[in-house]
Amino acid sequence: MTLPLHHPDDRHLFGYASGQERAGKSLLVATHLAYCPDCRRRVASFEALCGNWFEELPCPDHDGLDGLLDRMDGLLAGSPMPAEVARPRQAAATGERLVPEPLRGWLPEAIDTPTDDGRWQEISKGVWLSGWERTLSGTTIRLLRMASDAPVPAHRHTADELLLVLRGAFSDEYGSYSVGDVAHYVAATDHHARGASEEDCICLFLLDGDLIFLDEDGNSL
Amino acid sequence: MLSGGCMPFSREPPLPRPLEQDRSSADPDADPFEALVHAVAQDRDRNAFAALFRHFAPKILNYCLKLGADRGMAEELVQDVMLAVWLKAGSFDPAQATVGTWVFTIARNRRIDRLRKEMRPAPDPDDPAMTPASLATPEEAAQLVQSSRQLQDAIGSLAANQSEVLRRSYFLEQTHEEIAEDTELPLGTVKTRLRLALGHLKRSMRDKA
Ligand SMILES: [Zn+2]
Repeated sequence: MTLPLHHPDDRHLFGYASGQERAGKSLLVATHLAYCPDCRRRVASFEALCGNWFEELPCPDHDGLDGLLDRMDGLLAGSPMPAEVARPRQAAATGERLVPEPLRGWLPEAIDTPTDDGRWQEISKGVWLSGWERTLSGTTIRLLRMASDAPVPAHRHTADELLLVLRGAFSDEYGSYSVGDVAHYVAATDHHARGASEEDCICLFLLDGDLIFLDEDGNSL
Repeated sequence: MLSGGCMPFSREPPLPRPLEQDRSSADPDADPFEALVHAVAQDRDRNAFAALFRHFAPKILNYCLKLGADRGMAEELVQDVMLAVWLKAGSFDPAQATVGTWVFTIARNRRIDRLRKEMRPAPDPDDPAMTPASLATPEEAAQLVQSSRQLQDAIGSLAANQSEVLRRSYFLEQTHEEIAEDTELPLGTVKTRLRLALGHLKRSMRDKA
């Protein structure tokens, strides 16, 4: 088992731990966490730091809180302890790797089978964007699919672009990325991704601003 | 799975609790709130709950007020969070977090849900597709322990003024401009301190292969 080598920035991990990160990027961070024990510990450490800050909050006299406690009496009586539901701990998936939660519940059904129904739109030879699309807290979420060695066409984006590999592998001038890895491109950076696995590479693709594909002369398509 | 979850990684193998290295786990006085949570879970002890309420309710109230709730909403959130403490006391795991951190994560999730009206995506510890730490190779496992320790050292050795900008930026969600105004620091100083703070933490990242 190779654990991910490319992690989200601390800005995202810390923001996820503190609650400052918004829902769209949190979906990518949380899905990376499912792949990455290292970042899970990192987030737990950031949560502990926030827990300390929470404990240190000043507590001036708050009139009325005792009244609130009294009013909770009925609620407590009416809320018995939920029975412990023992859910079977399944063995880790072997063979074909399933996309983990929380993303799996979001994806259209069968998106991660070889013959899926992502309603793929070919944007250049061997490169597709999913017709499936969601917008969460201002971030557009789609899937990007690259055939082996197919280059993603030149494009420009006005804000952050984040990729999380769900299947296969791709590479760019900064390194190579396989399942669970995160690539983060800030606005206006040049980067040239291309598929780097025998099977098609499928990534979760997050974009904050507009995405403009360019033709050979660098003009917007 | 979305907004209600807390202690999402409670099935991880036990490891030293973050930021609590000094405390011996054999010391029953280490976290006085653990015994109270235990009494709530085992005996539905109302007095123990009241003690937890008196300690944490003002903090939850203050936290929600600082993050933009009005008084009425903040009181509702206090009630929500404390009810969750009552209901979920049995799932509290002292090996994973202090009671204070546990209550913080519940308050964080509830206010994202109620104040921001957003979901909070989180991994599901029962998901068979989740990569457990136990699947790491021995080398990876050693690295995990080391990087976890290094991060705790880095957090512990953060300069006070850098920790303070992190607190304002991430915990209180202040913009750089708001931090500059509140602390009467030049905007450039605020940005520099944030950059230095994140750089300090980043140096503890696991070495990339
Ligand atoms: Zn990671």
